[in-house]
Amino acid sequence: MTDETLEGWAPEIGRGVTLEEVVDRAFDYRGNVTVVRADGAELEGFLFNRDRDVPRPFVELFDPNGDGPLRILYADIRAIRFTGKDPAAGNSYAAWLRAKEQKKRATEPTAGGA
Amino acid sequence: MSVPLSQMLTVATYVLRQRLAGRPRYPLVLMLEPLFRCNLACAGCGKIQYPAQILKKHLTVERCLAAVDECGAPMVSIPGGEPLMYPEIGRLVKELVARRKFVYLCTNAVLLRAKLEDGLFEPSTYLSFSVHMDGLREEHDEAVCRDGVFDEAVDAIREALRRGFRVTTNTTLFDGANPLRMREFFDAMMDLGVEGMMVSPGYSYSKAPDQEHFLRRQRAHELFSRMFSNPARRWKFNQSPLFLRFLMGKQDFECTPWGNPTYNMFGWQRPCYLLQEGYAGSFKELLETTRWEAYGRSSGNEKCRDCMVHCGYEPTAVHHTFGSWRGFRDSVVATVSGRL
Repeated sequence: MTDETLEGWAPEIGRGVTLEEVVDRAFDYRGNVTVVRADGAELEGFLFNRDRDVPRPFVELFDPNGDGPLRILYADIRAIRFTGKDPAAGNSYAAWLRAKEQKKRATEPTAGGA
Repeated sequence: MSVPLSQMLTVATYVLRQRLAGRPRYPLVLMLEPLFRCNLACAGCGKIQYPAQILKKHLTVERCLAAVDECGAPMVSIPGGEPLMYPEIGRLVKELVARRKFVYLCTNAVLLRAKLEDGLFEPSTYLSFSVHMDGLREEHDEAVCRDGVFDEAVDAIREALRRGFRVTTNTTLFDGANPLRMREFFDAMMDLGVEGMMVSPGYSYSKAPDQEHFLRRQRAHELFSRMFSNPARRWKFNQSPLFLRFLMGKQDFECTPWGNPTYNMFGWQRPCYLLQEGYAGSFKELLETTRWEAYGRSSGNEKCRDCMVHCGYEPTAVHHTFGSWRGFRDSVVATVSGRL
């Protein structure tokens, strides 16, 4: 896994990316997102579920207070912005190994040193 | 195998009852996650990578028990997060034991000694602490990204055993594991006096941070074959010998993703403990509306291609044991002879 993150991403649905694709990325995202509804209202939260195999596809979120689940129909979504901090970013096993190696090098005496 | 006779009989009776009833899909172990919070940040675990409001939340005991009753599985595994951080863990375990569920409380054991000293639990045939141990000191502390955890866990295991609790270990093996060191680890755990050990390869799922380091199927077969060749008679595994043979490549199984269903604050996880493709509102909905044909190795789903994890294949092994005379015979022979 790379340390890439979608944090800060604000895709414009219909311009190279579909609503379904953005919802799937939001579902995989480990931080909070902001869902912009068709009427312009914004709802921030952790998008933990989505189902598009039902007659009225929906997403579900827990808001920043942990209240929920709040259900929003796909048909009511105008945009999704990846506004929350990504807790997975920079926390990969590879990153930990790199940090460990750096720490080890820093504590080792340099060749020829006193 | 090192499972108490009462547990073996309960599981055997349960499986036979499901088969006689003609149920094509039934759960064996409920994976109950009351919270995602943890006191460690292991490199191989994506469970704690959530925003603060999710990490602060936990299920109520009532919701946990409703899920247990709805599912009906004879065994309940409580992973997490770290279940000893769940404020109502004592009451939850007590209620599960009262329901005669065989409980595996999966813990990193950092808090175990303190909880035992607080008198939070009582020894029972129905309760086993399943302590996360990914190898000897060096390997384990590296896997959990914190020095000293191995020694804390060993100390807690000793204390739990001294107090008469059942204790098992659970080990996830990553790419690069050393079979000789693992054999030493098995000896060390037996010296400690644990009832049995559980081992499983890790899995490269998209939300896990170190998928490059998880085992691929072929390398896994080689690793487990070397690890289990000429197994010491005193090694006890708290899992099906047919699953161990599967890990060694001596037995071919298909995944049973509904065998260890997962329930947490999001609902019933589709399709399994490892993949998060959405959530169902009830266990019935999970069973009836999940597209099971889309999962498992034969489905061609690339996410399932290399998976050999216990939560999908152990139920298959158990089903196989009680599903045919050959399966039963193979299990008995492996158990009695100690040969895999």
